[in-house]
Amino acid sequence: MANPVVELENVRREYLVGDQVTVALDGVDLVIERGEFVAIVGPSGSGKSTMMNLIGCLDRPSSGVVKIASDTTSELNDNQLTSLRSKAIGFVFQQFQLLPNTTAIENVMAPLLYQGVSSKQAKQAATEILNRLGLGERLNFDRNRLSGGQQQRVAIARALVASPDIVLADEPTGALDSKTGAQVIELLKELNKEGRTIILITHDLEIAASAPRRVFLRDGLIERDERGAK
Amino acid sequence: MKLLGTARLALNRIWATKVRSLLTMLGVVIGVAAIVALTSIVDGASQGINKSLATLGTNQLNITAMAPDALTEQDANALAELDGVSVMFVQTSNEGTIATEDKRVNARLVGVSAEYFQAVKPEIAMGAYLSNSKFAASAKDVVFGADAANDLGLTDSMLGQTVKLNGQDFRLVGVLDDQAGFGTNGRVYVTLDSARKLFSQYPYVSSIVVQAETPEAVDALQLETDRLLRERYGLGTETDARYTITNQASLIAAVSSITDTLGLLLTGIAGISLVVGGIGIMNIMLVSVRERTREIGVRRAIGAKQSNILTQFLIEAIVLSLAGGVVGLILGEIAAYFLAIIGDWVFSIQLETVLGALGFSLVVGVVFGVWPARTAAKLEPIDALRFE
Repeated sequence: MANPVVELENVRREYLVGDQVTVALDGVDLVIERGEFVAIVGPSGSGKSTMMNLIGCLDRPSSGVVKIASDTTSELNDNQLTSLRSKAIGFVFQQFQLLPNTTAIENVMAPLLYQGVSSKQAKQAATEILNRLGLGERLNFDRNRLSGGQQQRVAIARALVASPDIVLADEPTGALDSKTGAQVIELLKELNKEGRTIILITHDLEIAASAPRRVFLRDGLIERDERGAK
Repeated sequence: MKLLGTARLALNRIWATKVRSLLTMLGVVIGVAAIVALTSIVDGASQGINKSLATLGTNQLNITAMAPDALTEQDANALAELDGVSVMFVQTSNEGTIATEDKRVNARLVGVSAEYFQAVKPEIAMGAYLSNSKFAASAKDVVFGADAANDLGLTDSMLGQTVKLNGQDFRLVGVLDDQAGFGTNGRVYVTLDSARKLFSQYPYVSSIVVQAETPEAVDALQLETDRLLRERYGLGTETDARYTITNQASLIAAVSSITDTLGLLLTGIAGISLVVGGIGIMNIMLVSVRERTREIGVRRAIGAKQSNILTQFLIEAIVLSLAGGVVGLILGEIAAYFLAIIGDWVFSIQLETVLGALGFSLVVGVVFGVWPARTAAKLEPIDALRFE
């Protein structure tokens, strides 16, 4: 049964750079169902970062409709958009982006604390998920004492902890060696099998191939929308 | 996020950058310490002045003759009869010479009536006052003020020895303590009877001092004194008097208003350094916002509201400023303690000073923290995340 978690209808996003209008997305339609694992693929300048920002509720379209978990982002003010983002989206960034001067567990607790969850409950949830991702021994390590792969797993734990509708991973393997990168992709696949919606943003066709559905972007338009294993 | 959690983030950051935090606080530390120390100097100084004035008697009226023959002992006796007068004494004074065997200097010779030492109770450095019995015997005894004693080089061993006043022999019985100001240190005190023989003519006196029973009664007594003297000399209320009446309480009030103004001025100057300290905090906070743009972006992405970011940075600024205030307060009080020892006044920690220092540093933190905190909160998440 169709249960869309992302709906893009004729989405346009333009930027004003100096006095020049740059079109990053030029009328895009895309529907992603709950539980899908989708790669959004394209070279730099294709509009994939813009699409990530729009899906991630970090940005609003210039025109068209972006619906995330049935909320239309352009109708929300900053506070409401933040609430939606905090509830619906878990981010995984290329450079991990763990918070400075903060331990692994504090990083993972942060999204829950921002939602107003008590520190005790947040700690419990964070411990649980870090244990699951094999970081139980390193709860109180700060980022300087974690390897790249470990940092990315902490970041994934942070993205998962608030049980978001979507895990949005932006080049999650970009800063990792290929072996560690492959482990991260395996982890994402596993999470998808558990029912999580995963959206993977990448320029790497090989990485993209691990997703059952691949949306190719070029020059602000969807070029191809492939399904099925390759 | 709850306020407590946000506060912890702010404290973590301050702790993680200890050296910078300390340097950032320094401006406020210096500002607050300066205010606290200066306030205590002014308090101490005015305390000292008031104490000196009080030794002259806060409930006293000085009636000073404008001419050598303006006031008499009879006037004094009449004043002593007024209601509410507890003590009355007269003084008569003139320039004269004082001498030991090998030294001779000028001094102000003052003849006082027996009640003088009871009423004024000057601190004595050595020897004793001119006691009542000495007045009765009209002995040729003399008590020196501190400066007069110094000028002649008097020492303990001179007590009981002879000194010459205007060439006549007197016996040194005491030396008064330093009276800090008011020109009384250069005086040499003898009995009224002795003064009559030395330099002054009966029945004239140079001043009469009456003391009211309570400080509150002084103003009424002043009016009554003026009325009585005008009556005795047949002066109309519009005629200039042959005397002036000085009220110690009004003198104290005048001095207080001067020290208050001085205090305000000094505190104002120190306040400028506090403002500079605040600007220092603002400056570092702005730098910090810029350095942490990525972090702000990540926090926004994982669910921090603008208000969370605002609070985090604002608390950081307030904590820095308040901590600076506390350290400054402690340093300022330590300085005040030593200044009190040097200046010989009473050290006390005033509640107003403590609350004022903390209040001011809080205000500085808020005022100079708001702009950086707003800058941080207003960052667009995508721009912040993209920031290199």
